Amino acid sequence: MTPAVQAAVTEVEQSFPGHRLDVTPESQGGAYVIVHDLNLGGRYAPATSWIGFLITFQYPYADVYPHFVQADLKRIDGANLPSGFSGPIAWNGRQALQISRRSNRWTAGVDTAAMKLAKVLNWIRNV
Amino acid sequence: MDQKRVKKEWSLVMDERLYGELRAHLFPDDGDEHGGVIIAGLAETERGIRLLARQFVPARGGVDFVPGKRGYRALAGRFVAEVAGRCADDGLVYLAVHNHGGTDSVQFSHDDMASHLRGYPALLDITHGGPVGALVFAHNAVAGDIWTDDRQRHALHHAQILGLHPHRLYPEPLAVAKFIDPMYERQVRLFGEAGQGLLGDLKVGVIGAGGGGSLLLQMLARLGVGHLVAVDPDRMDITNYPRIVGARRRDIAWGMGTSKNRIIKLLGARLARPKVHVARRVAREANPRVRFDALYGNVVDAAVARHLIDTDFLFLATDTMQSRLMFNALVHQYLIPGIQIGAKVQADPGTGAVDDVFAVTRLVLPNSGCLLCNGAISSAQLQREALSEGERRRQRYIEGEDISEPSVITLNALGASQAMNDFLFISTGLLKPVQVEHILMSPRERTMERVRLQQEPGCPMCSLSPGSLYGCGDRGQLPCRQ
Repeated sequence: MTPAVQAAVTEVEQSFPGHRLDVTPESQGGAYVIVHDLNLGGRYAPATSWIGFLITFQYPYADVYPHFVQADLKRIDGANLPSGFSGPIAWNGRQALQISRRSNRWTAGVDTAAMKLAKVLNWIRNV
Repeated sequence: MDQKRVKKEWSLVMDERLYGELRAHLFPDDGDEHGGVIIAGLAETERGIRLLARQFVPARGGVDFVPGKRGYRALAGRFVAEVAGRCADDGLVYLAVHNHGGTDSVQFSHDDMASHLRGYPALLDITHGGPVGALVFAHNAVAGDIWTDDRQRHALHHAQILGLHPHRLYPEPLAVAKFIDPMYERQVRLFGEAGQGLLGDLKVGVIGAGGGGSLLLQMLARLGVGHLVAVDPDRMDITNYPRIVGARRRDIAWGMGTSKNRIIKLLGARLARPKVHVARRVAREANPRVRFDALYGNVVDAAVARHLIDTDFLFLATDTMQSRLMFNALVHQYLIPGIQIGAKVQADPGTGAVDDVFAVTRLVLPNSGCLLCNGAISSAQLQREALSEGERRRQRYIEGEDISEPSVITLNALGASQAMNDFLFISTGLLKPVQVEHILMSPRERTMERVRLQQEPGCPMCSLSPGSLYGCGDRGQLPCRQ
């Protein structure tokens, strides 16, 4: 992992205390990160899921997206998942739903992987 | 530091802004001495050791720059400790500066040299091995005494001032007498023997040896640039043939790569020449004396990028965002002026109808507003380019076959020509007073648009914000693949 990716992983760890983190370095210096047992709010079943993402080797200049959640996620009201969700697809050795939330104003040195995860989580809870 | 460093040439590089601040502080027309510190990064290669000025910290007269116990004036102990501490924390180089009278030559006084002997061993310890040193400026001259952690002392050969009107300062005027090849006689009439000699001394890097890069490399060789470094990870294919200057049928393996026979197709791909090898042949035909480093690899890889850190000028002629980010980092981390060129044909994905056709030339000087600040680097595309092809397909960033964008030699030539003239007139000192701008050319409308540049105060590459890469050289981290 590059020093910047390593620092990003540490920040995710500190920003989501109490949640298990799986970190798998990828060959170019980035890392696949999975944060477990995140509360998705009251609109989904199951109510919690892991969320995974790839921090690429050119982080912090590169955006962190898309994010992935477990493939069996559903709305409890029976409605379709909102646009922004797609899949399921194979991601990092598992089936997952893809959440594409690209940052149009990503600012290197200001935006971080932890902040992006918090924003994505907030979007999931409120969409 | 190892003993081999003793023989290397030491130089200082600083941008026009920093030099302006330094001159305004050292030479306020009061005839007195003034002082301060330059905080610098460092780049060490076989070509020499370049001190990369990041920041000038002026010493306030009577407070930070005070009457000395032995010499006329000295930096106050508290000021030295504070700035040296910052250098130690950031892994940067401490360079004390002051001025003497005179114009075109300058040297340290005996008192100066004695003070270095007394103080610099301790400063080396404080800064965890430095280097540390001193510079003394006259109006058009500079001398330096640099100390390394092996207690060796090194004289500064010259200082390079970067900008639209670059120039060098030496301890004393240089006697220059160079042989100029008669074939450059018509060029010498434009920029003189000194200008031609200067081009011959330059090391210029070109990232990308495809349609745009091949034009740049040929022109650089024909101008008489002495040392070229070309970087490209691709081999030739038949679709490159209409755009790459000097390409021969042999270079594309006589079109075997398009055969329907799988074996012949594979053979064709293997027999096709790397683009940098074609560029080398073309450059040597243009100038048999040129030194040409053909790097068949990707600039995103650290081992390849290292070959570019001591270039005097850098061109970018690729279409990947990853290499654009690397170029931007090299320009600002190693203080190398550069120009990015590109051409784009925007077509309707459904009908194929052409929407827009343009070529762009982006002059990127250290401290002029970088590609990140000016929206020329897409964080989303950086992320996508780091994915494997399989990941891109699964995540639907590639729909169907990967379709190449339109590309035409005349559009490449438009950007390359503007870029080469910018390079030539900047390097030879002939550029008129102008603004640093990006130039957008629309040949269908026969128009040219100038784009004023922005500079974000917190930019991690071109600002002086804490942790930024600006001027850090080897003490910073390039955004390379590991």
